[in-house]
Amino acid sequence: MSFDLNFIGILIGAIMASSVPLILAASGELITERSGVLNLGVEGMMIIGAISGFALMIITDNLFFAVIGSMLSGLIISIIFGILTQSLLTNHVATGLALTIFGIGMSAMIGKNFVGIPGKEFPLLFVNLKENIPFFGPILFGHSIILYFAFLLPFITNYFLKKTKIGLIIRAVGDSPTSASNQGINVILVRYSCILYGGAMCGLAGAYLSLIYTPQWIENMTGGRGWIALALVVFATWSPIKVLIGALIFGGITILQLHMQAIGFRIPVQLLSALPYIMTIIVLVIISRDSRKIKLNTPTSLGQIFYKEK
Amino acid sequence: MNTKLTISNISKTYPGCIANDNVSLEFGSGKIYALLGENGAGKSTLVRILSGVVKPDEGKVFLNNENIKLNSPLDAKKNNIGMVFQHFNLFETLSVFENLSIDSNEKNEELRFLVNEILKKYNFKIDLDIPVLNLSAGQKQKVEIIRCLIRNPKVLIMDEPTSVLTEQETEDLFISLKKFSEEGILIIYITHKLKEVLSLCDEVAVMRKGKVVSVSSTKEEKIESLANKMVGENLSTIRKKIKNLKYNEEILKISNLNFRSDDPYETNLINLNFSLKKGECLGIAGISGNGQSELFQILSGEIITDYTSIKFRNKEIGKLNPRERREYLMAFSPEDRISQAAVPELKIYENVALNNFKSSNFFERGLVNEKKIKEHSKKILSNFSVNTDNVEMKSQFLSGGNLQKLIIGRELITSPELLVCFNPTWGLDVGAINYIHETLININEQGKSSILISTDNDELLRLSDRICVIYKGKLSKIMDINEVTPEKLGILMGGGSID
Repeated sequence: MSFDLNFIGILIGAIMASSVPLILAASGELITERSGVLNLGVEGMMIIGAISGFALMIITDNLFFAVIGSMLSGLIISIIFGILTQSLLTNHVATGLALTIFGIGMSAMIGKNFVGIPGKEFPLLFVNLKENIPFFGPILFGHSIILYFAFLLPFITNYFLKKTKIGLIIRAVGDSPTSASNQGINVILVRYSCILYGGAMCGLAGAYLSLIYTPQWIENMTGGRGWIALALVVFATWSPIKVLIGALIFGGITILQLHMQAIGFRIPVQLLSALPYIMTIIVLVIISRDSRKIKLNTPTSLGQIFYKEK
Repeated sequence: MNTKLTISNISKTYPGCIANDNVSLEFGSGKIYALLGENGAGKSTLVRILSGVVKPDEGKVFLNNENIKLNSPLDAKKNNIGMVFQHFNLFETLSVFENLSIDSNEKNEELRFLVNEILKKYNFKIDLDIPVLNLSAGQKQKVEIIRCLIRNPKVLIMDEPTSVLTEQETEDLFISLKKFSEEGILIIYITHKLKEVLSLCDEVAVMRKGKVVSVSSTKEEKIESLANKMVGENLSTIRKKIKNLKYNEEILKISNLNFRSDDPYETNLINLNFSLKKGECLGIAGISGNGQSELFQILSGEIITDYTSIKFRNKEIGKLNPRERREYLMAFSPEDRISQAAVPELKIYENVALNNFKSSNFFERGLVNEKKIKEHSKKILSNFSVNTDNVEMKSQFLSGGNLQKLIIGRELITSPELLVCFNPTWGLDVGAINYIHETLININEQGKSSILISTDNDELLRLSDRICVIYKGKLSKIMDINEVTPEKLGILMGGGSID
């Protein structure tokens, strides 16, 4: 019995690990969208983060530089998006799509010399505790620092948006950039900052994939996680806590359906593979169906171009 | 606290239009100043300059003889200039308190104390912790005013504040503004409503085409003199309506019309009965929110009732949708020009095509016949003196008056038998109002009928043949125009009864 319980613990630990990139990217994108900017380049920024992190780790042999570098590269890519949409007033949707395509191509080009090189082991914390405590051990311990950060992030984000002045300003800009500007808020600056923050978080999400989750570089290794993160933000109606729930459900069903496939369940594989997407959407729609709350949480100006009168 | 605000030689040019042409004005505290002008006269540009939103090309602003720089809204705030915009600058999804705290430096507890003091002092009743989107227009305006008051303003600018208010809310606002003025706040009141200037303000500056054309004390002015200054020509007094007695045929009959809504913000209509003759105008008065918008939607077919309750030219049409009703020669001019009557992002000719799906040859085999629509649109523009002949222009660039002319023109060019209007001159300037009124009188003379749902009593008394009042979803008895007085209307609108 204790073996079974421990196995479930390990399973839950694995689910948590698989949801980390979603939580990181979605939390970043959530801040960006709350300021009224719709950046569809999440996938592109993630994969650039993944290759930069991996390449820096190989070149510098330093994991700290690799992690910081991945965040910086996500941030730099997002600057392109910022300049285009905020300063040159291009359409958010088209620019974001272009950014994703650009990121995937760019990462493949940088990454062609790194294919097949084995990654380095990323330090995990509290490994003895993980092995000595049944069930709770594998859930709570033996993870990387980035996982702990990722699981704190939604709560920090929630507090930041609801309780701090800067959070209030970000929500105000997302609600009505014109009103905010008339109140003397520098809308462009706020939106740039949110875009850059979102970029950095996507970069970190990518690095988690290439440094920790599957420590190697494979072309296109984000595999659509950026799009899932985007969908999570919308279906979680811009609530950080619901993003966390959604990411865990998605990660959970992904892992479970893999096990079901391995055991040989008599359900078509295609259906099993589609399950995480369907279930995540269903659950998030059900938990966020309060239309009043949706209205209050939705950034009214999402995707609208803002320009300041002269 | 004595405040003196001087505007000196301000000019601002936009591509194709001089918004402010060498404007100089002087204001002193203790008085309420009116800045009067038609839409597009440059009032709004001037106050946007004063609030730091727009930078002037030339000119200076002095506060207590000190030249102040107004490069951003923050500068205006630093100099204690407060501004309440016509289109509210509020964050709808944030709570009232969050809206107030966003640009204040006080701690939350201190701010809450301060705000509560202001609420008490001016007898404002607003829940600070509900989202702004749940407030009425009057309450939203109070939030804007409170936001200014927190900063102890020396100057308070109100940009067309009554355009969204009910009559009661307007009275309350005037009481507050007079209080502020007594406390030494300099008030600049922007409007195009002449009555308000005379009842509220001490001095009036009239602007026309970007220039200040007159500055005077309101004691020396009358409605007519101000109107003439504002429009720049002697306004032809609108001709008096003569009752059309040629016809006796009943065109519309509403019998036992009831409407129950599940939406708590809508008004239920209770047992409405009235009829309308050919060539007649029936006015429906009332304070807004008493069921007017529901009644309009029922007449236009946006809300569908049972077949028998609406009979138009002897056909039962209660279940028909707006397009089908138009085919029976009904026409509609809704209250909200921007979101109900027209699509602002579409070009003029596209908007013209929108309500003429069947009655014309605009569409052939599913394709749009642009040439026909454009010709037709040009005809509307010239017949209804819309101030442009460019049918390719986006409708959002038309002023309110011109957009309303376009809408009325679009409805009337198909020669409908009945036109239903809801507040047709809401927010328009005198010139446009007169034009619309003239048009509505004309159609009655031509034997067409109209229903005028309006919150403007002067308009109703001018245009209607018979009037009734709607109160809490019920209609009063219908009175002939000769027996109606503004006092009677007032009593009925407040829920009282006469005779």
